[in-house]
Amino acid sequence: VNATLQELSHSVITGDRTRALDLTRRAVAEGTSPKSVITDGLIAGMAVVGAAFRDGELYIPEVMVAARAMNECLAVLEPLLTDRIMPSHGKVVIATVKQDIHEIGKNLVAMMLKGNGFEVIDLGVDVAPDTIVEAVRDYEADVVALSALLTTTMPNMMEVVDALAAAGQRDHVKIMVGGAPLTQSFAREMGADGYAADAAQAVELASLLLHPSTPEGEASPRAEASREGHGRVAPDESTCR
Amino acid sequence: MWLVPWAQDRYPQEIAHIQRRYPSDFDDAPIVYRPSPRRRGDIFAPGTSTDEWGCRFTNIHGGVEGEVREPILPDVREWRDVRPPYEILPQHLSATRDLVNRHCARTNGYVRAQCLVNPWERYQALRGPQNAFMDIIDWDADRQALLDRIHDYFMAELEFWVSTEVDAVRLQDDWGSQKQLLVPPHHWRELFKPLYAEYCQLSHDRGKAVFFHSDGNILEIYGDFVEIGVDALNSQLFCMDLDELARLAKGRITFWGEIDRQHVLTAADPAAGREAVRQVVRHLYDTSGGTIAQFELGPGANPTVAEAIFEEWESVGRLELPTQGWIKDE
Repeated sequence: VNATLQELSHSVITGDRTRALDLTRRAVAEGTSPKSVITDGLIAGMAVVGAAFRDGELYIPEVMVAARAMNECLAVLEPLLTDRIMPSHGKVVIATVKQDIHEIGKNLVAMMLKGNGFEVIDLGVDVAPDTIVEAVRDYEADVVALSALLTTTMPNMMEVVDALAAAGQRDHVKIMVGGAPLTQSFAREMGADGYAADAAQAVELASLLLHPSTPEGEASPRAEASREGHGRVAPDESTCR
Repeated sequence: MWLVPWAQDRYPQEIAHIQRRYPSDFDDAPIVYRPSPRRRGDIFAPGTSTDEWGCRFTNIHGGVEGEVREPILPDVREWRDVRPPYEILPQHLSATRDLVNRHCARTNGYVRAQCLVNPWERYQALRGPQNAFMDIIDWDADRQALLDRIHDYFMAELEFWVSTEVDAVRLQDDWGSQKQLLVPPHHWRELFKPLYAEYCQLSHDRGKAVFFHSDGNILEIYGDFVEIGVDALNSQLFCMDLDELARLAKGRITFWGEIDRQHVLTAADPAAGREAVRQVVRHLYDTSGGTIAQFELGPGANPTVAEAIFEEWESVGRLELPTQGWIKDE
């Protein structure tokens, strides 16, 4: 990875959006492909942010400004991609469930997923099960990520699981859930595929659900976490099936 | 026992029974605020509402507080447009003070002011939560000016209350996520700790205790609350390492509750409620600091567990603790 991309990664990590934009433009001008700028500069930086957040070294505001820097750089790069298609680890439809309008946690997960190379379709808050089913079908999503903050709206996650099953979509998509009052056992009972306690774990879980046997040497965030020996999401802890 | 409308609406008889059996040792001062011309609707009711600062809230659930969807200050450079609601503060100070003082003289309860001093929550309501979080990193003179404007208002509000005969004032701001502080601790110490220290100083100078509520895991700043002189801190104890919490604060602050409202109070298992009380006593009770038997009956909570919690507190207090060892909070 060249020096400009390394510096770009660092700018994303520190949330310095002005510097990150300059470096993005410079990298393109130097002849680096937009896909490489995204993968080796922006996503590499966000992967560091995710790991640091997981380990309690960074906090929500720092993650948000890092994601903001990355998104502004992506907006510059997107028109330059030859096929206009971003490199993607998978498609995630994300929503806060019906009757719940809390969005900070959901937004944080969406930012982290996007920053780690997932394509994210954010349906917002208070989203009905039918809308989620429709989005899964229309976007051919790989993962559905559901959020709930209230104990009273947690059961609405189950309605989404049932709706996906009724629509014949359940076997085509992985379901992951999160939110302050949730637990692993509740996720299992409702029939989800996995539970993540925070945004960093959500990224690891999405990678794990889609690429359960990532070979050594390929840099999925999950694989990196395991090799470093501080991954908090052991497969038997995070996945329900 | 703190009640949110969600619980009050669903369990009125059960709650009345518990309140009769375990009356609170606390009493709230009369509400002294004047009607706000900006206030519209009910923040706890489904629909939209506007509060006394002009912030707009959306609520679809009912029984819990709404959320700010469209902040009134998306551009912080326009902070001069924010008008704190000085018009709702008491105008006839002497008469209003007399009203509060008469209440204090009549009651045997420990009287807390009916104030709501919450600079961070107010900042978020004005800017929107996402902007507010990023502001912590982007901090500049405009953001500081906005926070100063908020702080000046709360100081004025507290000035009234500390001039009365109430026993304590209340501050609140949620600072924790499930596993750590919401913001970097050094930013918190730089931007917000000095404000809270001023509120504590003002209150202590006039002989008032400071009660502070903060949700989430706030272990990283628990010692700071002790340092600035918060007298009683209501926090989600069960989000935190109780041993570490004891090391930081046992005997140096009063633990104002609570019992785990995310898992224990919603579990329909009275035995879990009893065990949670014993855990709090084992880890945190100290005669020079103490514990307040407080918990919240919020969304999903079970009144049977609530009653078991009070029974356990009563039993523990009778058998093991001095009579002044714990008090109940309604």
